[in-house]
Formats: sequence, structure tokens, C-alpha cells
Amino acid sequence: MKILVTVKRVIDYNVKARVKADNSDVDLANTKMALNPFCEIAVEEAIRLKESGAATEVVVVSIGPKACQEQIRTSLALGADRGIQIETDTMPESLNAAKLLAKVVEAEQPGLIIMGKQAIDSDNNQTGQMLAALLDMPQGTFASKVELIGEKVHVTREVDGGLQTIALNMPAIVTTDLRLNEPRYASLPNIMKAKRKPLVVQTPVDLGVEMKTHTQLVKVEAPTERQAGIKVNSIEELIEKLQNEAKVI
Amino acid sequence: MSEYNHPYQDVDFVIKEIVEFDSFCQNAGLEDINSEFASVILNEAAKLGSEVIAPLNTTGDSQGSSLKDKKVQQADGFSEAYQQYMENGWSSLTAEAEFGGQNLPNLFGTAINEIWQSASLAFSLCPMLTQGAISAIKHHGSESLKHTWLPNMISGQWTGTMNLTEPDAGTDLAAIKTKAVPNNDHYLISGQKIFITWGDHQMTENVVHLVLARLPDAPAGVKGISLFVVPKFLLDEQGNTTSQLNDVHCTALEHKLGIHASPTCSMSFGDNDGAIGYIVGEPHKGLSYMFTMMNHARQDVGLQGLAVSERSYQQALQYAKERLQGTNKDGSRFSIIKFPDVRRMLMQMKASIEAMRALAYVASNETDKSRYAKTADEKAKHFSRVELYTPIVKGWLTELAQEVTYLGTQINGGMGFIEETGSAQHYRDARILTIYEGTTGIQALDLVGRKTLFDKGEQLALLLIEIAQTSVDLKQYPQLDKLALSLENAVITAQEARNWLLDNAQADKSAAGSVSVNFMMMFGYICGAWMMAKAAIKSQQKLDLGEDKTEFFKAKLVTAQFYFEHLLPRIHTNFASIQAGSDSIMSLPEDQF
Amino acid sequence: MAILIIAEHDNAVLKAATLNTITAASQMGDECHLLVAGSSCSAVAEQGSKVAGVTKVLLADNTVYEYQLAENISKLVTELAPNYTHIVSAATTTGKNFMPRVAALLDVAQISDIIKVESENKFKRPIYAGNAIATVESLDNIKVITVRGTAFSAATTLDSNASIENLNIVHDAQMSQFISEEVAVSERPELTAAKVIISGGRGMGNGENFALLENVADKLGAAVGASRAAVDAGFVPNDMQVGQTGKIVAPDLYIAVGISGAIQHLAGMKDSKIIVAINKDEDAPIFQVADYGLVADLFEVLPELTDKL
Repeated sequence: MKILVTVKRVIDYNVKARVKADNSDVDLANTKMALNPFCEIAVEEAIRLKESGAATEVVVVSIGPKACQEQIRTSLALGADRGIQIETDTMPESLNAAKLLAKVVEAEQPGLIIMGKQAIDSDNNQTGQMLAALLDMPQGTFASKVELIGEKVHVTREVDGGLQTIALNMPAIVTTDLRLNEPRYASLPNIMKAKRKPLVVQTPVDLGVEMKTHTQLVKVEAPTERQAGIKVNSIEELIEKLQNEAKVI
Repeated sequence: MSEYNHPYQDVDFVIKEIVEFDSFCQNAGLEDINSEFASVILNEAAKLGSEVIAPLNTTGDSQGSSLKDKKVQQADGFSEAYQQYMENGWSSLTAEAEFGGQNLPNLFGTAINEIWQSASLAFSLCPMLTQGAISAIKHHGSESLKHTWLPNMISGQWTGTMNLTEPDAGTDLAAIKTKAVPNNDHYLISGQKIFITWGDHQMTENVVHLVLARLPDAPAGVKGISLFVVPKFLLDEQGNTTSQLNDVHCTALEHKLGIHASPTCSMSFGDNDGAIGYIVGEPHKGLSYMFTMMNHARQDVGLQGLAVSERSYQQALQYAKERLQGTNKDGSRFSIIKFPDVRRMLMQMKASIEAMRALAYVASNETDKSRYAKTADEKAKHFSRVELYTPIVKGWLTELAQEVTYLGTQINGGMGFIEETGSAQHYRDARILTIYEGTTGIQALDLVGRKTLFDKGEQLALLLIEIAQTSVDLKQYPQLDKLALSLENAVITAQEARNWLLDNAQADKSAAGSVSVNFMMMFGYICGAWMMAKAAIKSQQKLDLGEDKTEFFKAKLVTAQFYFEHLLPRIHTNFASIQAGSDSIMSLPEDQF
Repeated sequence: MAILIIAEHDNAVLKAATLNTITAASQMGDECHLLVAGSSCSAVAEQGSKVAGVTKVLLADNTVYEYQLAENISKLVTELAPNYTHIVSAATTTGKNFMPRVAALLDVAQISDIIKVESENKFKRPIYAGNAIATVESLDNIKVITVRGTAFSAATTLDSNASIENLNIVHDAQMSQFISEEVAVSERPELTAAKVIISGGRGMGNGENFALLENVADKLGAAVGASRAAVDAGFVPNDMQVGQTGKIVAPDLYIAVGISGAIQHLAGMKDSKIIVAINKDEDAPIFQVADYGLVADLFEVLPELTDKL
């Protein structure tokens, strides 16, 4: 079985994003970029499935400018077999990303598609579900466990109330949540091998996808910063303040 | 407590723009290797360094290692970290493919070692000593010796140590007394060695000691020393480790000022019948074999100066941004980074580090250039440059590191003196760097002696010609004209210093030794200026082309300016001392001290 | 044209999140219809019909909708969509699960997790873990929106009922099956609706120690939450996680105990009215957003807090 994994190049999760002075967007100029943590978990899950013998090939796809090849290379270094970069100037809207990915899925015919549940820049949590709808495939979102049982994939999902397990026909789309696995460190031999693994570049034109604009980013502002308050010295003082000053208890 | 974040922006800049790695790779015919690949590898190494090794730095420092029942137990977490390091294949980086290595250029090894060293200096010493031992066996061992020992050392399953120093023989290695007596197909080694880094531990199934010892018929002095491989556990016929301990063990651990987590062992060989050892190469060639590794080992220690400085800087910078010790008129407080004097200290740390990094990486790549040179002449030329750089990289970077870590602690104020903030550890850990692997004095003597007087200053002249060319290149940029003038004048001063040495060394036997350290520091500052000049040129070019990352390039120009205004002028003090010669240094009788 | 809100419920009770969503929807247009899709869920439709702002309730009661399977629900909503200008749901895991499918089937964008309605086609939403707020304008004819409940007040309940219309639309994609669930049963208020929350982090040490928090929660009628670190370490289950990728909360009072205050956790609770931090590390970043901070050993002060309340 072939597994397709999508990866996104995003701001490093340790970095606190800053808004540009002209409020046009977030300032990414001098910022450290990295593989989206949820996507890293997706890559890890795919590789584990390959190592267990359940999958034969892991193909990794990323959409964006040339720089995102770095994330594809990292994924190859972790153990993916092949990379595809869909070259776009800017990061497309989720629906357009889903449309591009749908074309790749049609060409690659994977048995399973594993994606991160959300990208930590846009925090949208949409693309996996949209892709599933376009392909008329079932989805298992916010996965904390993935098990192949018979012809189906059982996905345990982290939901508001606790955990829910569903079984999906395959091919299916799974989006990963944080506790699905802990990604490995890339080993030096694998980093070296990755250099030779194929990385193909395609464009939306190659894929026959017309990317419409559905939303406009009007502006980006910094949120109102909370100010630090005061330190209290005892529980008594805390209770007193909460009762009389803040009036919340 | 300080975290470690890989300074990837500066590292990428140095590799791409100052080392000009891509054009080196093209010339060397290295197809898939380039600065982009370097970026990918370093990114992965940085993750392991920051997430797995760096957290051990403080705990390792407070715990140290312990000796019980002749076994050294290393600090908590070190074994697990080492396993991850080894299992992820980092041990085999620069070793040749024949024995399972990845055969990557020396520059990669340097850039990656900087990460391990910054993450935890104590931890990094283990792989570093192993690399030295590997090198010795690789260059001088017989084929069978190499096949027996190298594969597992390169993979990291066995670590290595260098056993040279004895109580009576440190700088003066010729005075060693450890004996090696022939016995069938091997030798029996007996003697005492001290200051053996990672001499024992429980992280791997075997430890391979390289030991300098004298054969029974050895000539006296430097020409009578041989090199032996002495394993901790004996091997069986198939070359696998057995559970049989060799006759060598750790007798004591040193209680040191710093690098606590690195067990510094006194080793006793042959308490019983003698430790089984295998000769490396030919008899009596041991010291000359040591010289083969010297460039790499010394430059590696210079790198440690950079690494610990970077760590100290990151901690100090974080502190300076957070520590509120000033009050505005409106009552709001501000952080100390706004104070000019704190800024000065931070700028000095930053400028020093950036110059150090560039020089360490450039020097490292010279080794690559020598290896991949297409003609014998070219090879010799680059090798001579490696040799010239070695005392400067080791001596200057480690001396500068003392000052940088001092400043790191100073910025922390009272909290810098308190262990908890982490700055004090960097200051303590740095202290060994000017001492081991050849003291500052030895590096300086090497520079003035073998590397200047010996060839009548020819290599030094070639270096100065290159630096002078950069000062001409600077003139193409009106914004950099001050740098051009400063660098030009610095070269002139350097030439005068060189000439002084060549003129005075003969007549006054104490001259070279007396001026040596000032001479070395002077050339260090000038090489650093040269690096910053190159950085300024590249940065200005990028800004003129309107490339991305303008903030980074502008910052580089300011840092270069700082270097030239506040660090380079030190060469005048160095020069004044040089010109003063040996008189006031040597004329006071010993009993007047 | 009207607005279609998809109710969040468990087949018996209409969840509070829907009330906040209705408020947001009311700011987008005048006529709001509430879709209740589930199984044996007529009680939910009843509750929904009493909410101020709801002009009609659509009830799709069929076993195929029992577990809110995205493949089925999305087809139902998509079929109804052409009658509406806006399709709105709460940004709960249910809403987040099926709404993007609706958007894709309608070939429109989705605007997720809005915190403000500027106009019928302009919205504000948090990005980069809430470190930036984006104002987004929709160019689509049908807007698919999920709403961050904590950013809107709850719609009130009235005495009167809106009409309830039974839909006979059954979509059974047969692509997915419910297998099982582990739902935390608690008498405490739900995290996303609670007025007071006390949360524990890695500093709690283990799951048993959360009893110390529960004692305080009992006294305050509070919900109990956790940081990601505590959930990762196995102290408590995932449904207690507050943070960028867990639950977003904005109670009147949030007490963070043994929580350092990583960006990702702050993203989940920094809109709380009052934040209290208890941590023995005075340098913990949480103190930078806390209105009241107490540097102390939580094991000492939590019992004291329970006693003195």
C-alpha cells in the first residue's frame, strides 16, 4: 500500500509570531521556519506503518515556494521515499490546497493519506477534511491512534468529550493529533540517503487546477496584550483579592 | 538555566558566503554536497543537540562522575544521550566509507561539532577523543589493526581515549615513562597516565585507549616513544568484545574547576602482569604520529572556544532582555539591554563569536581543500595554510573565549555568580581550553617557531598578501572605506611584527618566546578582522542587490564595524609589547620575584 | 436569505456552545435556522426552538446521524445550503470535523474559529496560536463559518418556541462506522462553558495529585483542565487539555497551577477575565499574563486554598 503524507513549511513552533508594522501580515522575514509539528507526526506515522510492513512506499507532498523543499528533504531524511513539491508563490487557501492535493492523489492512488490536523500558522484545521470531501473519501480527524484492521483503518480520535473510535473504508484520510506518536530524530545515514531520493516539482498548471480566490486578508493585528498583574504573598491575600477586587468568587 | 538554539543564520552565512562552500564543492567534484545540504544536516543535528544533549549540560555539571569499584559512572542521562547520538549515526560523519563512515568534508564535522560542544562541552569530549583515536589508527595503523578496531570506533560502539600525559610529563611529553614490553604477538604495557578524558565510563561495551609508551630498546627523548592500542575489554578471535577486563583501570577521578561531567581519569596500566597492547605503526614513531592528528585536535579545541562562547552569549542575551533594572520617568521599568555598557559587552561577545566562527570554519575547510587538491603543489599550499591556522585557531579562539565567558557572567550581575543561572558554568568550563591540547604558550611558540622562523615567515607573508587583497576589495564599497583603511593598516603592522621577529630572533634567544603570545593574539585579531571584512563585503553586496534578510545583513555590518573599532585596535597593544622585546620580561633575577 | 446554524448536542441536550454560536450568527443576518441532526434527538430540537434568535428549527432525526459522522452530516448540510447565505457551527471537534467537508462540497472557503463579526462577510479570527488576529473578507456567496464560543455571549432562552420542521433527508455514505467511545462523565461543568476553571500542569507530578485541584474545584463549582504537558505525561485524559490545539476557554476565573505558560497553552486561555498563577518558579512565563501570581509550592498552598474558601 502506498501512503501519501502532506507537509507544510511553517513558523517554528518555539517562535512567537510578530505582526508587521503595516499590519499587512505576520513578519516572517527573519524567522526560523520548520516542518509543521502535526505534519511531522504524520510523516512518523507513515514511516512506522512502512516499517511494520503495512505500507510499501511513503510519498510526501508539500505546497509552496522553493524553500519548502527543505521540509520535503527533512521528511525524506526521516524515511519517506519520494517527494513532490507543488510550486506556488504563496501558500494557497485550504480549498485550493485540497484541490491541488486531490490531483496528486488521483495520480498516486494511495491507500491511505495522512495529514497534520492543522498548520500552526493558519490554525485552520480544514485541508484534510476538504480533501476527503473532494475525493469522496472517509476521514478520521484528530487521530491519537491509527490501526489497520482487515480492509479498514480504525482511527481513535481526540474529541471534546474524550475519545471516539471509528472504522473507515479505504482509501481514507487521517489527520493527526499531538499524541499519535513521538517523531524520531533523523539519523545521519538517512539524511545522506535522502539526498538521492527523487524530488519532483509540479505546478498548479501541470495539475490542471485553477486556483480561485475565495477570501481576502484585510489586515493582521497584534492581539491586546495582557499586562502582568501583581504577586500576592499568601493564599489569604489571593482569596481576598479575588473576592473583593476582581469579584470573581 | 540556559537553553541552546543553533545559531543557524550565522552558520549558514559563514558556510555559504565566507567559506564559499558551494564553489569548493564544485571544484572538488563533490556532487550532492553543497551549502543547502549542510543546512539540512545541521538542522537535524541541532535538534538532537538542543533537545537531547543540551538539557544534560547543567545536570551533568552538578552531578559530575563517580568512581566505585574501579568503575567510572558517568552523570545521569549521558548514556541514553550517547545511545541516541550513536544510533542516529553521528559518530561516523567524517570517517571514510571503507570502515562505515559517511566520508563528509571536514567542514561538516566542524559545523556539527560546534553543536555538540555548545550543547554540552563535557559530553562532546567523548566523541572528540574518539575521533582522535580513530585518526591515529587510520593514519598509521596496519591494515589488520585498522580492520580490528576502526569499524566499531567509527560507529561509536566503542569510544576512544588518548593516553599521553603522565605526572612528570605534560608539555614535555618526551619525559614519559610508561613501558611497553614485547610479548608474543602483542605488548605488555605498564605505567601511570593522568588527565585522561573519558578514560572510563559505562556508556559503551568497550573503550579503546591509545597509549604512548617506551619500548625496552628505545632511544632517549622524543625519538623513543611508540603508540599502542590498549582496549578496556579484550577481544576474542573474531574481534568481538569479551567480558575479560584488560590490565588497565581508572585509579582516580580529578576534581576539576569545570567540565565536571567529563570524567578526567588517572589510569593505571599493568598493575598485574601488564595490559595487552598492540603497536600502531612502527616502533619509536609515536610522537610523530601524534603530530599528524595535532592540526585537527587543536583546531577542534579552538572550536570549543567558539562553542562555549556562543552558549554563554545566548544565556547572557536572554538575561539582558529580561532583567529589569532601570526605571523610566513614567515609572515603567526597562531591561538592562538598554544600558550602553551592557550593549557594549553584548556587542563584544557577538563580534568575537562571529569572527571566531568564520575563522574556525575557514580553517576547517582548508583541510578539505588540501584533501581534494588536484595537484601536489596545491595540496602542499593548502596544507601549509592548515598548519599556519592551527596555532591561531587554537590559541586565539580559546583565549578570546575566556573573555567572552567572563563578559557573559558579568552581564548577569550578581546572578552570574550564582550557579543556577548557568553562566558560571560556561565561565568555568572555558578555563581548560587555553590549557589542554597544548597550552596557549605552546601554540604561540609553534606559531613563532615552526610556523614563522622555520620558513623565514614565508607562509605568514602569503597570508598577509591575501588579507591585503581583501582590504583592496573593501575599497569598492564606499560604505566600507573605514574598514578598508583599518585593515590595510593592520596588515602593515602585522608585516612589521613579522619582520621584527625575523630580525630579532637570532640575536636574542628569548625574543621569540617572549613575544610569542602577543604575536599569536595579534594575528588572531587580524585574521578575525579579515573574516569580518569578508562578511561585510558579502553583506553589502546582498543589501545592494536588494536580497531578502536585510536585517541580518545590516546587523552584520554593524557587528563588523564594532569589531574593527573595538577589537582590532588591540593589535597595537600587542605590537607595542612585541617591539619591547624580552628585556623587561627576562632581566629580573628569579630571586627578585 | 437566512443563516443555517448546525446545533452541537449529544442527542439529549443542546450544548452551550450552540448558544454562543447563535449570538454570532445573529450578527450576520436576521433569520437564523437551527439544524438539529442526530438520532432520537427531538428533545434537543425543543430546547433549540426556545433560543432567542432562532426563527425555525430543522430536525433531521435518523440513526445515520447518531454519531455525527462527518461524511453523512456534511451531505445533509450541503443539500440544505443553497437556501442560506451563511452556514455556521461552533468550533467544537464536531463542527471542525464536518464543516470543511461542507465548504469543499459547496466549493467555497471556510472561515474557522471566528472571534468577531465585522459585517456579514468580514470576520476576525486568531492565527499563529492567537499571537495575531486576522481580519478576513469572504468573496463567496455562501459563507461557511465556525465560531469560537468564548468570544460571544450565550443567546438567551425564551418562553416561546420557534417552529420545528422535520426533514426527511437521509444521507448514509456508508464509508465510516462508529466503533466505540470513551467519554469522560463528570458532574463538573464543561470546560468550554465553565465560569471558573482550575488547571494543572507538569508541576502536579502525577494524576493522583489532581485530586488537590478537584478539591478546590468542588468549592468553586469549577471545571478542571490541564496543560498539554500534563496530558502527554499521562496524568489526565486529553479532553482536559486547554491550549492552541486543545480547548479554548475564556472563563471569568482561570487558575493555572504548576503550569509554566508556554505560548501554546496561553493561546487556549489568555482571554480569561482573571488569571491566577500558582507556581514555585518565579520566572515562569505564566506570571507575565497573570493578574494575580503566587510564587509557592502548590502542594502546600492548594490544601490551604481548599480550606480557606
